[in-house]
Amino acid sequence: MAAPNKDAAAASASDPAAEEDTSIEALARRVQEHMTLSSNPSARRHKFWETQPVGQFRDAGDASLSDGAIEPPTPLSEVRADPYPLPSAFEWFTCDLDDDSLLSDLYSLLAHNYVEDDENMFRFNYSPAFLRWALRPPSFFRSWHIGVRAKESKKLVAFISGVPARIRARDAVVRMAEINFLCVHKKLRSKRLAPVLIREVTRRVHQENIWQAAYTAGVVLPTPITTCRYWHRSLNPKKLIDVGFSRLGPRMTMSRTVRLYKLPDAPLTPGFRQMELRDVAAVTRLLRAYLAKFVVAPDFDEMDVEHWLLPQEDVVESYLVESPETHEVTDFCSFYTLPSSVLNNANYATLKAAYSYYNVSTKTPLQQLMNDALIVAKQKNYDVFNALDVMENESLLKELKFGPGDGQLHYYLYNYRIRNGIKPSELGLVLL
Amino acid sequence: MGGDWQELAQAAVIGLLFSFLVAKLISTVIAFKEDNLRITRSPPTSPATPAAAAPPPATSLEGHGDASDEDDDVSDSDWEGVESTELDEEFSAASAFVAASAASGTSVPEQAQLNLYGLYKIATEGPCTAPQPSALKLKARAKWNAWNKLGAMPTEEAMQKYITVVDELFPNWSMGSITKKKDEDNTVSASSSKGPMGPVFSSLMYEDDDQGNESELGDIHVSAREGAIDDITKHLAAGVEVNMRDSEGRTPLHWAVDRGHLNSVEILVSANADVNAQDNEGQTALHYAVLCEREDIAELLVKHHADVQIKDEDGNTARELCPSSWSFMNLAN
Repeated sequence: MAAPNKDAAAASASDPAAEEDTSIEALARRVQEHMTLSSNPSARRHKFWETQPVGQFRDAGDASLSDGAIEPPTPLSEVRADPYPLPSAFEWFTCDLDDDSLLSDLYSLLAHNYVEDDENMFRFNYSPAFLRWALRPPSFFRSWHIGVRAKESKKLVAFISGVPARIRARDAVVRMAEINFLCVHKKLRSKRLAPVLIREVTRRVHQENIWQAAYTAGVVLPTPITTCRYWHRSLNPKKLIDVGFSRLGPRMTMSRTVRLYKLPDAPLTPGFRQMELRDVAAVTRLLRAYLAKFVVAPDFDEMDVEHWLLPQEDVVESYLVESPETHEVTDFCSFYTLPSSVLNNANYATLKAAYSYYNVSTKTPLQQLMNDALIVAKQKNYDVFNALDVMENESLLKELKFGPGDGQLHYYLYNYRIRNGIKPSELGLVLL
Repeated sequence: MGGDWQELAQAAVIGLLFSFLVAKLISTVIAFKEDNLRITRSPPTSPATPAAAAPPPATSLEGHGDASDEDDDVSDSDWEGVESTELDEEFSAASAFVAASAASGTSVPEQAQLNLYGLYKIATEGPCTAPQPSALKLKARAKWNAWNKLGAMPTEEAMQKYITVVDELFPNWSMGSITKKKDEDNTVSASSSKGPMGPVFSSLMYEDDDQGNESELGDIHVSAREGAIDDITKHLAAGVEVNMRDSEGRTPLHWAVDRGHLNSVEILVSANADVNAQDNEGQTALHYAVLCEREDIAELLVKHHADVQIKDEDGNTARELCPSSWSFMNLAN
């Protein structure tokens, strides 16, 4: 997907000695380039994705295309039976995450090689417990935890995963795979492993008779269903400034910044408490009713809620409001824990971030509910609380002193078309 | 007699001129046709490819259906153009550099230009199969020769040689393109923010002094904020008031404490700065030290008789705000 685009190189640059090349050919080429570039700045060529059943840039505005699967399922007998070939020094390897030592191999592959910010100051540091949680939801497939290891050393050098999910798109509930944790060891960047990993996970998903997938990316590929922005609420502003996560303006004082982000010591809403196992049914009811409002959202049953939302220390936190009078559960909020390594800082090694997950308000105003979430996150020593502008989040971000982030997250569906895309506020799906 | 001779000469010159123009016209028309032909016969992906040239290797994926169903002949070539090699990237960085410097008017010797042209064509389009341009089109002919003479040189070799030529012409070219190269790396690999798939690490966008803060600082405040002790000393020696207030009522001491410059705090305190000066919100330097968790500075201020009991406009004293572990705050006063 990142092949240095030779056409583009030739266009922007063109042959060094070709100034007099004002033939019609060059002219036509220039016009064509100009049109694609100006009408869609992201219309770089995507040689891999153009071969895939995903919404293509050229389909934009084509009214003859309907929402739904782009390609029909192929008979299972026609799904390729063997794994795709790897470069000869490598082999496929299914990671059994029951095995602590394999889990720890995966943890360290990701901790050293996974996503960093643009300036390489931070790298995601998903904890082993988080990985187990993220990769083993109800009826997960072990075969979708796909590793690549070096034949000789048996060292894990690349990984991709899928987990099954039921995702509703408009009125249709579709079985999908959520694809995540694509990671190739830094030293193997030129080995062309990422596309083969994507094809292999696609093959294994097809083998389970599942033909759609959801995934996110920081880059524009053909074609996002929506593009979200991250927002950040400082909880520990001094540390965030010290590690370079945020900056202090030259005329702003640290002391005023600290006071600006100060939060009460305890949640303000009466009946605000941690979610427990006995709340699963009530939370499922709340969540299902709420998520029905969005165009694309997961279709959670009680098993899913128990897995994804029951609190687990340093993995996922969930709180709800139980009415002190009626004992009815009226509101719910949750966030997951994703620390990042702070690279090259003498004072701090880790940044502890909470990521807003699913929130439902029926009685307590959403803003007050989220403020309580910020308060408990601060109590639990999180440094920052992050949220996407999905669902109804946008309405409260500024009021609760979130600031816009530099990261955009594009959401994609594989082999499923949503014509014209949706707004972030119409998206009810949070991928980890 | 002489007149006839002159007339004849004139006619001959005109005739020659005329025939040259006709020849030129014909060659132009032919060239025009060729161009047209090229347009219609070039694959849409690379309009620059001359009629019969082999398609660039990167297009080998074109025309495949759903790749996952394309099972039978999956070979390494399937990944051509999907992920690029380091050589690809260096080559594309080098050609982008050459283009940029050509656009900015950097002069490159004619021979090197032709050399680069030929290598570029081999690298991007393969061996030359375009028809030889007419001898009248000097420049086009020279370029064609540069391309044609490389024969069937392999793409990788052409890229490598191209990079070598650029290295010789501009020994430092890659310095300027490091950032760009890094970006490309990011797009290629799964291990950075712009990986092909996965989450994104986002941090707070810097909004320039967005808190509606229009405070005005004097030079000495700026020096204190930056911890520039020499400048602070210079300002004081020049007679600047040590307790000078900025528009928010902050003294240089407030700023030095806020940014955690212990040395500057020491200098200001020993120059008799008022340790109990309150800003427009009633906060002392000690309030700042407590809020910013600067324990060493707080201890120094207390040692210089900072009052731990002064209330700010919210009614908070530094002692109430400080962590309980700061025992020196309780011993004081």
